[in-house]
Parts: sequence; structure tokens; C-alpha cells
Amino acid sequence: MPNATDHEGRASSASARAAASAAATRRLLLVGATAGALAPLATPALAQARPLRIGMVTSLSGPFAALGESMRAGMRLLLAQSGERFADRPVELIVEDDQARPDDGVRKARKLIGQDRVDLLCGVIHSGVALALRDVVTEAQMPTFLLGSANDLARKAVSPYILRPTKTNWMLGSTAARRSHETHPGARVVTAASDYAAGREFVGDFVQTYQEFGGRIGRQFWTPLGSADFGPLLTAIAAERPDSVYVFFAGSDAVRFLRQWKEYRLAGRIRLTGTGACFDQEDVLPAVGDAALGAVNTFHQSPTAPASAAFVEAYRTSGKGLPGEFSTTGYACGQVLRAATERTGGDPTDWARTRQALFDAPVDTAFGRMPFDPRNGQAILDIHVHEVRSAPGGVINTVVHTYPQLRDPGPNA
Amino acid sequence: MPDFLGYAAIQTLNALSFSALLLLNGLGLSVVLSLMNFVNLAHGSFFLMGSYVAIFWLGTGAPWWLAFPAAFLAAGLAGALLERFPFRHFYARPHLMQVLLTYGLSLIFADLMRWGIGAQILLPELPGALQGVVFILDMPFPVFRLFLIAAGVALGLLLWLLLDRTIWGAVLRAAVTDRGIVETLGIDTRRVFTVVLVLSAGLGGLSGALGAGMLAAYPGLDEEVLLLALVTVVVGGLGSFGGTVAGALVVGFALTFSKVWFPEFANLAAFAALALLLLLRPAGLVAPPLRRL
Repeated sequence: MPNATDHEGRASSASARAAASAAATRRLLLVGATAGALAPLATPALAQARPLRIGMVTSLSGPFAALGESMRAGMRLLLAQSGERFADRPVELIVEDDQARPDDGVRKARKLIGQDRVDLLCGVIHSGVALALRDVVTEAQMPTFLLGSANDLARKAVSPYILRPTKTNWMLGSTAARRSHETHPGARVVTAASDYAAGREFVGDFVQTYQEFGGRIGRQFWTPLGSADFGPLLTAIAAERPDSVYVFFAGSDAVRFLRQWKEYRLAGRIRLTGTGACFDQEDVLPAVGDAALGAVNTFHQSPTAPASAAFVEAYRTSGKGLPGEFSTTGYACGQVLRAATERTGGDPTDWARTRQALFDAPVDTAFGRMPFDPRNGQAILDIHVHEVRSAPGGVINTVVHTYPQLRDPGPNA
Repeated sequence: MPDFLGYAAIQTLNALSFSALLLLNGLGLSVVLSLMNFVNLAHGSFFLMGSYVAIFWLGTGAPWWLAFPAAFLAAGLAGALLERFPFRHFYARPHLMQVLLTYGLSLIFADLMRWGIGAQILLPELPGALQGVVFILDMPFPVFRLFLIAAGVALGLLLWLLLDRTIWGAVLRAAVTDRGIVETLGIDTRRVFTVVLVLSAGLGGLSGALGAGMLAAYPGLDEEVLLLALVTVVVGGLGSFGGTVAGALVVGFALTFSKVWFPEFANLAAFAALALLLLLRPAGLVAPPLRRL
């Protein structure tokens, strides 16, 4: 049976080759990613007065690429509006890509600190990167404005070198539960979220707060990050027949979920509530359109809150659509950096003095009036309740209620 | 009881519609892999390109059903150009060289598409005819997914007929087995391979156009679908058409029902099952038919 043997050998070697090529793909991916990461960024250094150097670590490739680009665009807009100067000192922004991977983030932060000798560091979307950077900047005593939103950053992982001009996940999860209880007490809520750190925190805080109010929680569904098909999940939710669903998905997951939410005719039958990221004005709503109509979400960022009006207008005239969370985050972070520089006469590197200057008085940002909590350096923020309503040219997150000046429970939580 | 039946029926249809997508996605890859022994990791780029073409086509208001041929032609054209240079020069090279070439190209295409179209997530505007639902035992099921299932079955059948039941398919299979002999019959095998690659790229584009309604389109989708296609093809078994069909069904059902039964461990459960399957049947579900003399 020479033929059969040959055929067997050929088949198994072919499948081995395909498996090997899949493995090779992953390895090549790593090589390619590293090569891209190593490409040096041009850093012109010709200013007469030594410019203020700001380093930004954000995700310009990988799953959060679109968010990272928005963050950078927001920061760049603020710099352009300031004439590339803070307190009359030229500002130089150096942006590095962490690819949403903690090890890359650490490497890039070390590069910005050691090689580029930045005066201030800011950025980060992914919570894992943020927690990894926390140790690096604390060890290097690097003044950092960290924009990840894991609760621990305002609690166990507090650092004297870190200020946080953004939300914590608790702020959104707990306010969503409060709102649900206030508007529909006694409703039975099931939850559905992406199964990673952020999803666990949003849903955990929602469930805990909702149960403290005496609310009823049904099944809790978790799906892997990056699910291709939400049909099975939606069919399972439909079979549960809850009064309402609390969701957290981000990016393409959010788009797929909301689109299929409408396709499976759950829209209008079950009330949909969620975190603002799942209904992000820039990232998600333009794609899903009326599939999200009527959904309620809580968010610190709002295209319709009065405090953000000037920024929204400027962002739109810069040729983009309505801003979402991360463009606003980048811009607000820039506003805080500018305030820090101005309040210290152009030199924010004396960190004890800069911190104190920011603790002394709130900063007016696109997130609204932003005081910092001296216990943990965490911003105290207005949290808006949005309803997605139709507007000319699309749908828009419309503020229906605001929980003013929310403070994370902090280190004692 | 009808509740449970309806639930089971809808979840089965969910699995079938996802399998149809996997089948469409895997067919293009398996055609070049099994027929030409060429590893094309740029296949995901054809998929994403097809998604974008369909989304823009559906946005213009032109007859909606033409979006699918348009995506097929656009990706097929890209495939034809790539076949002339550089794919043709790599058919005889080892797989590792093919992997390097096509993976590098896929990175370039990803950047080009991101540069031209942007990083935002796009969804197609489906025509009214595909937006409805049908009620099956009182449970709603989207018409679009039935359309996906039908498209998967129809295209699968068409391709099977073409490759297994026509003289052209016979020439192609013969050319793969022994190119020299086929050349002596006066057949230009280079042209045959060109046609296969165009067909594969076109299928990639077409499945992207169909899949955009479920998956949306954004930078990075190309890699995700490439991975799914590789899993489908490897599980099914290389070198046979039936293998890809079986692979798509098994992977589709595994991924769907793992979400139904163990939502928290969906990927773990599904891929553990697939790994076990490969351990038991290293050549894949359907061993390729004997084609060598």
C-alpha cells in the first residue's frame, strides 16, 4: 500500500505545516510589532528656552488603536489651541505606542523617562498597562498623569507621583445602579459584559450597589473579549426575559452587540443600560446609529454637557465628528497639564509644589470642574446619565441627569 | 417545553449562521492551500477589503445585491495583480518563505486600509429586505442570518461543483498533482493557478462583504478572520473540500454552544475541544482524498 502511506504522510505533514504556519504567524506578529515599536520617533530639539517635554504612552496599534488615536488627537488639539506653549514655555509632546500590552508600555515609559528625559508623563488606556506603569513611575519618581481607570489606581495602587484626571470604573458602575434603582425600583436586571478586568469592575460595582439598594440581579453573562458572534448570548438573554440588562462592551464588541441587539428584536422589549464606553459617541454610536436608541448609560464624558461645549465645537471644527471618551480624556489631561504648568510659573517639575497647586483649587476641564482628592490624587468628577436620542445626522448621548462631584471611595474602600 | 424547543432551535440556527460565515471565510484560504500548496496569510486582507467595498457600496444607494459581486471583483482584481507579482514567484518556495511574504504583505495592506479609510468601526446599511426577523417557535431570528446560511450553502455547492464536477476542476487538480504532465497536454498551468488565486481572493472579498453585517469592519478584523479561517481549515483537514465544510460546522457549533453552555469559559471550552479533536485526528476531520499516483 505505498499509495496510502504516501497519502497519509502527505496529509499529516500538510496539517503540521499549516499548524506551524499559524504558530509562525504569531511569532512573526511579535517580531513585526517589536520592529515597529523600535522605530525611533523624530524628536526635534531646537527651542531656545528648554521646552517642557511631555511624554504620552497610549495605544496606537492593537485593540485600542482607535481610542489611542483619539486620545492623542485631543491632546494635540489642546496644544494647538495653546499655541504649543504652556505658561509661555514651548511644549514638546512625544507619543509612544504601548499596543495595549503591559510589557510594551513599561518599555516605552522607561524610554520616555530615561532617554527622552520628559518632564511629565501622561496617557494609558489599558488598565493592565496602567498598573504596570504605576510601579515604574513610582520607582523613577516620575510625575505622571495616569489615564487608565482601574479602581485600584485610586485605592491599593495609589502613588504619590501619580495624579488621575479621569474616572474610576466604580464611578460609572455604581451610578448606573443608583439610576436604575431610582427610575425603576424592583426591576430584575441581568448583566452581560466582556470578561476582562474592566468588565468585572463595572459589573461588580453595578451589582454590589444595586443589591445594596435591594435590587434583584438575575444571571450574569460573560463573553470573551473580541467575540465575533453575539447571537448565542442575545438568544440566552431573550430567554431570561429580564426587565433590563446592564452591559459593558467596548469598541468592535460594542458595535457588534448593539447591532445584533437590534437584529434579534431585543430593542424596545428589554431596557438597555450600560457604561458610557459601550455607547461611546465617537467610537461606537456613529457605527450603530439607531440600534442604540433609548439606551441609558452613565459616563463622565458627555457631548451634551455644558462644560464640554467649547471643546466639542473645537473638535468638530478640526474636521472630526463628535468627541468621545478618549479624545475628551486627552484634551482634559492637556488642560490639567497646562494648569499645573501655569500654577507653578512654567516649571511643574517640583512635584510636591505642583501637586499642592492642583489640590488647592479645581481645574476647569472638558469633563467639568475637576478637583483632585488629596488622599489618592484621584479626580472628583460629575457623572452624567445619558439617554441615546436621535439628532440631526445620527444619534447623540443626551444628558438626562447628573450626579455631581462624585468621589471614589478611595484607599479605605 | 415549546420555550425550550424554540431556544434550542434558535441557538442551532445561530451556530449554522456562524458556520456559514466560517465556511465562506475558510473556502478561499483552503482553495489555495490545498490546491496550490500556497500559504496565503494575506487572505484576511481580502476579507477586510471586501467588507469595506460592500459597506461603501451599500452606502451609495446602488442596488444592494450588487455589493457582493462588487466585493468579489475588487478582491479578485487585487488577487490577480498580486498573483502576477509577487505570489507567482513563491509557489515553488518553502512554506516559511510564503508565510514571510504574505504576512508582510498583510501588514502593508492593513496599514494602507487604515490610512485610506481610518480606524473607525464601520457597519453596512443592510437593505430593508434583510433587516427583518422571522419567528421560529415564538423566538425571533434575523433574516440576515438566514441569508448568510443560504449564501454559505449556495456558494459551497457552486464551488464543489466547479472543482469536483467540471473538466476545469479536473485540469486544476491534475495540475496540482503533476504540473509537467498537464503542461505536455498543452495546457498553460500558469493561467490555471492565476484563476485559482483570483477565485480565492474573490471568495475572501465576497465573504468579507457578507460577514460585515455580522462582524463590522475595522483595522484588526483581517487578523481575526485569518485566525478563524486557519482554525477552520486545519480542523477540517487540508486538501479536501468536504473537510472545510466539516471544519466550519464543527468550529461554528463548538464556538456557539460553548457560549451557550459555559459562557465564562467559552473560548477555553471551544478550543480545548478542537485541540482534542486534532489530537485524535491529526490530519483533520476529513482525510484528503487520494490524488497522487
